[in-house]
Amino acid sequence: MINGTIFKQTLHANVKLWLMFTIVLTILQVVMIAVFDASTLTDVSHLVEGTALAGMLGKTTLLGMLASTFYSIHGVIFPIIFIIMTANSLIASQVDRGSMVYLLSTPTKRSTIIVTQAFYLIVALVIMFFMETIAGLVTIQVFQSDTDIVVADFVMLNVGLLLLMFAISGISFFFSSYCNLTKNSLAFGAGIQIAFFLCQLLSSVDESLNVLNYLTINALFDTTAILDGEHYWWKLIILFGIGLVLYIASLEVFKRKDLPL
Amino acid sequence: MAMIELQNVTKDYGDSRGIFNINLSIELGEAFGFVGTNGAGKTTTIRHLMGFLKPNTGTVQIKNLDAWQNAAEIKQCVGYTPGEIAFPDVKTGWEFIHQQAELLQLTDLSFANQLIERLQLDPSANIKRMSKGMKQKTAIVVALMADPPILILDEPTTGLDPLMRAEFIQIIKEEKGKGKTIFMSSHMFEEIEETCDKVAMIKEGKIITIEAISSIMSNEHQQFIIEFSNEQESTRFMQEKLDSVAISHTMVSVNIENNILNEFLAILSTYQFDNLTEQNHTLQEQFYHLYSGGQSHD
Repeated sequence: MINGTIFKQTLHANVKLWLMFTIVLTILQVVMIAVFDASTLTDVSHLVEGTALAGMLGKTTLLGMLASTFYSIHGVIFPIIFIIMTANSLIASQVDRGSMVYLLSTPTKRSTIIVTQAFYLIVALVIMFFMETIAGLVTIQVFQSDTDIVVADFVMLNVGLLLLMFAISGISFFFSSYCNLTKNSLAFGAGIQIAFFLCQLLSSVDESLNVLNYLTINALFDTTAILDGEHYWWKLIILFGIGLVLYIASLEVFKRKDLPL
Repeated sequence: MAMIELQNVTKDYGDSRGIFNINLSIELGEAFGFVGTNGAGKTTTIRHLMGFLKPNTGTVQIKNLDAWQNAAEIKQCVGYTPGEIAFPDVKTGWEFIHQQAELLQLTDLSFANQLIERLQLDPSANIKRMSKGMKQKTAIVVALMADPPILILDEPTTGLDPLMRAEFIQIIKEEKGKGKTIFMSSHMFEEIEETCDKVAMIKEGKIITIEAISSIMSNEHQQFIIEFSNEQESTRFMQEKLDSVAISHTMVSVNIENNILNEFLAILSTYQFDNLTEQNHTLQEQFYHLYSGGQSHD
């Protein structure tokens, strides 16, 4: 089902972008953990008490701070941009440019192409978050050894974020497989994610905007629930399900559609 | 045995764009030419052969396999050059050729090397900076290198210089000599005339004629255009018992049976004329004739 030649070519064409985003994401994670100082944050949260920003700062533990910053802003938007660019280049842009024709003029099945490209995107995300998590754990050991941190919660935050990105990558990959034109693939494959991201961001700013939380799948990655040990599994399972369904849909839609090659 | 067969194939894109009720049958070892203006439906037809498009109605079969259902399987015996060239994201021509060879599970590149040499291609060049002709040559090498029994070529000589075009035609003739079935679309009528056994013309998505090249090229009689030195000569010539038509004051078109060519030349020698040209009875002429007034038949 996975074609080595196609995978090699995909890796070759996309690995630089992946490396860039992985490095940026890892550095962000490392810096945010390294500079954390519980006392400073308490001061700041006193300053902004009662304003819109108070909601965004959240709790003053290291993980609480990370949950309301890295795990809802930086760690979300950077991988989203990576996903949007990569998903489009994996299928839609090759159909749009016409270079897909060379794969399909060999005895390569359409399903093999989709499975191979989906495999690349998923593996790229898994390794990206794996490296970011390892870097985070090392940084915690080095800079926050005297802070009290539940490592399992930290790992779960990353697993949750990975599952959110799996679902989001499913959306982009689906539109990349469905659309024959890059502009359409990007319009849907990027527009929806950005809308989800903004909904989630706005809902955390003020109570009155909480309703937006119901409009975004990002809310299914419930950092508060993870840190408070509430039931969060079902939400993560839904994220996984969304991703899985979309990847399968991508395969089916690509097998059936007309290709203007 | 029909290697390629289209039966009542229709793909309607609306606004009378698309292809309608196409019936074609290409036999084993036959070279089949496919001509038509831009947008007439050549590429749409070829995309059906390649299994990229699913027909609204009708069936497309290659080696008795459905071109849509069994697309991947069929590619084991099909070489294809697309009408538009967009290479994947690789660096050099070699990288591309090797990648395609891997996908084709081809290990022996000796035929590819032969083609590269004959087409004077330099595959070590950066593929993005290649000229149109170079890219086309690369596409041709990739389509032919696995020695597939069926070749589907969508305007394969676009961008080739006249020397390379001649070399390409030579290669196609050799491939045909090996017994391959060839389906080739082209704008260049000479190409089709030189390589193909049969030709189909498509207009507004409909096949308007399918004919053997030999019957189009039949030359039992020939047509000449004579440009006389002055009007008197021209008028005098018109009184000869020949099948002639005045084109202008001094120009006459005359239709001569092959068996009276000598007589014709004897008559002509008594006239003063500036120019004598032979009009070849060609595919091009047929094409213009059919395209200007041709009725389509289904």
